[in-house]
Amino acid sequence: MLPIHEHIVGELVQEDGVVVIGAGIGFAKLLASLLRLHSPSEGVVFVLSASEGQRAAIKEELLEQDSSLQAPIEINNEYTASDRLSFYARGGVAFITSRILIVDLLNERVPLARVSGLVFLNAHRLSDTCTEAFIARLYRVSNRKGFIRAFSDKPQAMISGFSKTERIMRSLFVRRLHLWPRFHMSIASALEENPPQVVDLRVPFTGSMHGIHAAILEVMDACLKELKKTNKLDVEDLTIENGLFKSFDEIVRRQLDPIWHTLSRKIKQLVSDLKTLRKLADYLLRYDAITFLKYLDTLRASEDVRSVWIFANPTHKIFELAKRRVFQVVRTDTGDPVVSDRGKRPLKGRGKQNSGSDMATKKRKANDGSASELSVSSANAGSDQVGAVQDVEVVVMAEEMPKWKVLHEVLGEIQEELQGIEPADWEDDSATVLIACKDERTCLQLQDCVNKGAQKLMGDEWEKYLLGKAELHGMRTRKKRTYVGSRGVGVLNGKLSSRNVSVEDATTARQEEVALLAAAAEVSFREEENRGGRGRGRGRGRSRGAGSGKRTQKEKQDAGNDDTISLEDPSVSILLDEKNDNLGEESALLEDSVKEVSNRTSNQQGKKSSSLLHFYAIESEQRILDILRPSFVIVYDPDMAFVREMEVYKAEHPLKSLKVYFLFYDNSTEAQKFEASIRRENSAFESLIRQKASMMIPVDQDGRLLDLNALSQSPSTFSSNSSTRKAGGRKASEKQMKVVVDMREFGSSLPCVLHQQGIKIVPVTLEVGDYILSPDICVERKSVADLFQSFASGRLYHQAETMTRYYRIPVLLIEFSQDKSFSFQSANEVGEDILPTNIVSRLSLLVLHFPRLRVIWSRSLHATADIFLTLKSNQDEPDVDKAMRVGVPTEDGLIEGDLRAENYNSTAVELLRRLPGVTDANYRSLMDGCNSLAELACVPMEKLSELMGGNRPARMLRDFLDAKCPTLA
Amino acid sequence: DAAHTGQARNAILVSRRQQGNPMLKHIKNVRWIYADIVPDYLLGQNSCALYLSLRYHLLHPDYLYFRIRELLKSFRLRIVLCYVDVEDVVKPLHEVTKTALLHDCTLLCAWSLEECARYLETIKIYENKPADAIQERTDNDYLSRLTSALTSVRHINKTDVLTLGSTFGTLAATMGASMEELARCPGIGERKVKRLYDAFHEPFRRTS
Repeated sequence: MLPIHEHIVGELVQEDGVVVIGAGIGFAKLLASLLRLHSPSEGVVFVLSASEGQRAAIKEELLEQDSSLQAPIEINNEYTASDRLSFYARGGVAFITSRILIVDLLNERVPLARVSGLVFLNAHRLSDTCTEAFIARLYRVSNRKGFIRAFSDKPQAMISGFSKTERIMRSLFVRRLHLWPRFHMSIASALEENPPQVVDLRVPFTGSMHGIHAAILEVMDACLKELKKTNKLDVEDLTIENGLFKSFDEIVRRQLDPIWHTLSRKIKQLVSDLKTLRKLADYLLRYDAITFLKYLDTLRASEDVRSVWIFANPTHKIFELAKRRVFQVVRTDTGDPVVSDRGKRPLKGRGKQNSGSDMATKKRKANDGSASELSVSSANAGSDQVGAVQDVEVVVMAEEMPKWKVLHEVLGEIQEELQGIEPADWEDDSATVLIACKDERTCLQLQDCVNKGAQKLMGDEWEKYLLGKAELHGMRTRKKRTYVGSRGVGVLNGKLSSRNVSVEDATTARQEEVALLAAAAEVSFREEENRGGRGRGRGRGRSRGAGSGKRTQKEKQDAGNDDTISLEDPSVSILLDEKNDNLGEESALLEDSVKEVSNRTSNQQGKKSSSLLHFYAIESEQRILDILRPSFVIVYDPDMAFVREMEVYKAEHPLKSLKVYFLFYDNSTEAQKFEASIRRENSAFESLIRQKASMMIPVDQDGRLLDLNALSQSPSTFSSNSSTRKAGGRKASEKQMKVVVDMREFGSSLPCVLHQQGIKIVPVTLEVGDYILSPDICVERKSVADLFQSFASGRLYHQAETMTRYYRIPVLLIEFSQDKSFSFQSANEVGEDILPTNIVSRLSLLVLHFPRLRVIWSRSLHATADIFLTLKSNQDEPDVDKAMRVGVPTEDGLIEGDLRAENYNSTAVELLRRLPGVTDANYRSLMDGCNSLAELACVPMEKLSELMGGNRPARMLRDFLDAKCPTLA
Repeated sequence: DAAHTGQARNAILVSRRQQGNPMLKHIKNVRWIYADIVPDYLLGQNSCALYLSLRYHLLHPDYLYFRIRELLKSFRLRIVLCYVDVEDVVKPLHEVTKTALLHDCTLLCAWSLEECARYLETIKIYENKPADAIQERTDNDYLSRLTSALTSVRHINKTDVLTLGSTFGTLAATMGASMEELARCPGIGERKVKRLYDAFHEPFRRTS
C-alpha cells in the first residue's frame, strides 16, 4: 500500500464512481483497502464480475493488510440457497456471480436495504443491457443510499465504441469518473521518487531469425494489400505495424462483423491468415528453433487448402529458414548441403550460423537401409535425375535462442555482484532473482536451459523431434527397423506443400526425409536400448557410429558422474556453485515442483553461496513480487503491467535495492509492441480525459429512477415490496405484465431489456422453452450461432417437438446480433443446388414438420422486447407454477398438459419411433396393427412387412428386436 | 385433364398475381406453372405461401392482413415469405411478424431473391422428406441404437440398458418381460420397473 492508493480510495469513497487506473498500478491493493473499510454489521457488500485471479489477489492482499479480517466468501453454484439467505442476513463481503445475484434479486430473496453497496470489477466489460446493469438498476430502485463503485484497469477497452464510458456510468447510476493514469502527477511522483535500477539489454537476432522475421512481414504485407483491394475495409488502420497486435483483429472484426455473412471466402481466409501470421511473428521470438519448426510442420499439415499465405512466395523462405535453424541435409561424399534449386537459400554457408562453440554439431550417417529406400522411392517417382543413390546425412544445427546466452551472462553478472557482499549483510531475500516470462511454457524451458545448459536442452528437443518423426512412421517397434511404409505419413515432412514444387524439390524433400528418418531410427533404437538396460547400450557398435557428444553426455549422466558439470555452459555452473555435488538431487527436485523452483545450491563447503532463482509466468497473474521480494528481476518477456508492478513494489520498499534487466530483441516486433502498448494506454487515457469533460451525465441520476418507477408503473404498479394481489377490485388494471424466464437465460441480456420495458421477470427452471409469455405462448430463443449449432445436434428438433406438445403457440425466436449482419447468407452463397446442410433447407424442414411453430426474426434485443409486448397484449399472464411443471413428469409418469398424453402412451410411441426401420410414414400403421410394444415384439416378419409397407424396413426391425445383445464378460 | 394434374402435382403452382415477380426466374430446381389459386404459391397439398417484400409492405401496410384473411384454414402450413429489401427493418418487420403470428402463419425471412426462391423450392421438394437431417443422430451400431430407444423411457440410463440387454438377451425378450423379471435386474428400482412395464404393455392408443 502506498499513500497514493489510499488517496485514490479516499476520493472514491467521497463520491461513488468508476475508477479507471493504469494497468499494473496495484488494482488489487485498491480493492483490498476499499473492502477493508466495510464491517459486516453494516450489511452486505457484493463484488461482481471478478475473475478468478483477481479474487485470489484481492483475498491475499486483504490478508496481508489485516490478517484479523474475515476473508470474503465466494458465492457460486456450489453455495446452497439457504446458505445464501443466511449470509445476506449476516452481512459481510462476498464475491458473487451475476447470475446467482440477479435470480435472487428477482425472487426477492435479497434484503436490499441491508446491502450497503455493490462493487463491479472489469467495468470495461459492462454494457447498458448486461446482467450487471440489471443488478445495479434493481438495487438503485429500492436502495438509494448504498454505494455503487466500479473499477477497470484497461483504459483501452473503455474507449472502444461510441461513448462507451458514459453509457457504462449511466447504467451504473454513477456520475463520477475517476481517472488515474500512470502519468498522473501524484502517481508519477510516487513511483519515480525511488525508481528501480534498470538495465536495458538489446539482443540481436540471428541471421536466420532475421530472415524469417522479414519474410513474415513480407507475407503479411501481401495479405494486407489483398485485403485492401477488396474495398470492404477502412484501410487507414491497416498497417503492418498494427497487424502485429492482437487488437488488429478487433479493428478488422469490428469493421467486418456487420457484413461478415456477405463476405467471400477469400476475405475471411485473409483475415484468418493475418491472425496466423501474427502468431508466427510472436512464436518466432518465444519458441526455440525446434519447437518453432514443429509448430510450422503442424501448421502446414492443418492449414486450410484455401489458405492464402501458405502458398505465398516468401512463405517458402520461412519454412526453409526455420528448417535450416534446426538441421541441414548434406551429401556425405562432398559435404555439400542438399538444397533445392529454387534459389532461395540466403544462408548457404553453414559457418554463418555455426558461430563457434555453442553450436551442437553432429553428424549422422544414413545407414544402408535408408540409401536403398531412397533409390526405391525415387524410382517409384520416376524422376531420378538428381542421382538416386546418394548418401545423405543430417547435420544438426539446433540454433539456440539469442536471449538464452544473454540470460546466462546476466545471471553470471548477478552472481559476481553477490560475491562482493558478505553473507552476514544479506537480508533474507536479497539474493532472490526473479525471471519473468510470458507463460508457463517459457518458464519451464528457461528452467531447463539454466539447469541443464542450452546445448543439452536443444539436444533433448532434437531427440524429441526425431522421436516424434519416428513415431509418425511407426518405427518404434524394436525389430522392425526398415521403414518401407513411409508413404502417407509424409504430411509432416513437407509433402503437402510439394504439390507446386518442382521435381528437384520433391527429390530434395525425399532425401531429407530419408536422412531424418535414419537419424530418428537411431535415436529411437538407442532409446529402447537404454530402456532395456542401461549398461548394454555402451558396447553397441552401431550407435557408436553416431559418435555424438550428446550420447556420451547422456551416458555420463546415466552413470551419475560428477563431471556432468563440465558439459554445462560455464555461466550456469557459476550459478549452480562450482562444487555442486548433488546435481542429481537438484534435478529431481526440479522435476517435482513445476512452477517456482528454488535452486538454492548446496553450500557444503561453507563458501559464499549463490542466488535463489525463481521463474514466474506473467500470465499467471500472481502477486509474485510481494511474495518473493526479489532484489533482481530479469524481464525475459517485457510486459507493461509487470513493469508497473515493479515500480509500485519498489516504491513500497524504498530501501530495498531492485535491479531490473530487460531483455529485448533488437529491432524486433517485441520492442515495438512494448512501446506501443504504453502509447496506446496513454492515448486511451487522454481520450477518456477529453470525454470526461464533455460527458452528459444527468446531475440527478436518481431522477432517472423516478422515471424508471413511473415506467414500471405505467402498465401497472411497481411491486418490489408490495404484493400486486392486494389490489382488490381493480385487478385488471393493476396487474403487472409478467414473463416467466428460464434460469439459464440470464447469461443473455434479454431479461434485462424486458425488465427495462417494465415487465416483471420471474426466474424459474423451465423444462420446456426459455420464455413463457402467456399460458399459450412459449418461446425458444436462439442466437444465430445457437441456431446453426442446435440444428446440427438435433436439439432444436427436440425442443420444437416438446414445445408443440405442451403449448398452443410454440415460437422459435431467431435473434440476430445488433452489430452483426441481419442475414444468414449473401445472394452468391445461396448456390445452385439444394444442399441438406444449408440453413434454408434446415429451416424449411423444420417448418414442414412443425407447421404450428411460429418464427420471430429479431434484429435486436429491443426489437424482441417490443414484439414480446405486442404478443402479450391480448393474452393472459402466464402461470408460473404451471410453467414450471410443464414437461416434468409426476411420480406416476404422467406428464401434465401433454396434449397427446391423454390419447397416446407417449413413451411407447417415442420408443417405437426410435427403432430401426420405423419411419414417419409407417409408425402409425404399426400402432394400429399391434396394441403395444410387447405385442410388437412377437409379430412375425410377414405381418410386419405388411404393416410397414415393405420387406426391407420389416427385416431391419425384426433383426433389431431379435439381435443378441452383447453381454459383458 | 389427368396429364395436367399429374404435372401440377410435381410443380409449384404460382398465382397469376405473381406475374412479373423477378424472383420467379430464380426457381430452377423445381418446375412451376401458373394456376388460378388463392395463395401466391401452392407448395403441396397442405402448404402454401404468400410473398411479401418489406418495401411493398411499407407502401401498403394492410395488404398482408387482407391476403391472409383470404387463405383457407385448411392449409396445415401457411407461410409468409418475407423479402427483406429495406435497410431499416425494425418497424416494418415488427408489423409483419405481428400479423403473421396473430393469424397463424409461419414467417420466413430471406435477404435475396435467390434465397426467396430457394425456400419455395426446398419446401416443395422436401414435402415428404423425413426429419432425419435435423434430428439427433444416433450411431448406427447396435448398442447405440438400443440405448437411444430404451432411454426414451424416463430415468433409464445407459447402465440400465446394458443390464436389460444382458439379462434378457434381446430387445424382444426385454419387451415381453414380466414385472417380476424386470424387478430382478440390479439397479432397476420399483419406479423404473413400472415405467418400463407401462411403456411395453400399455397400448399405444389409450382411447379406442
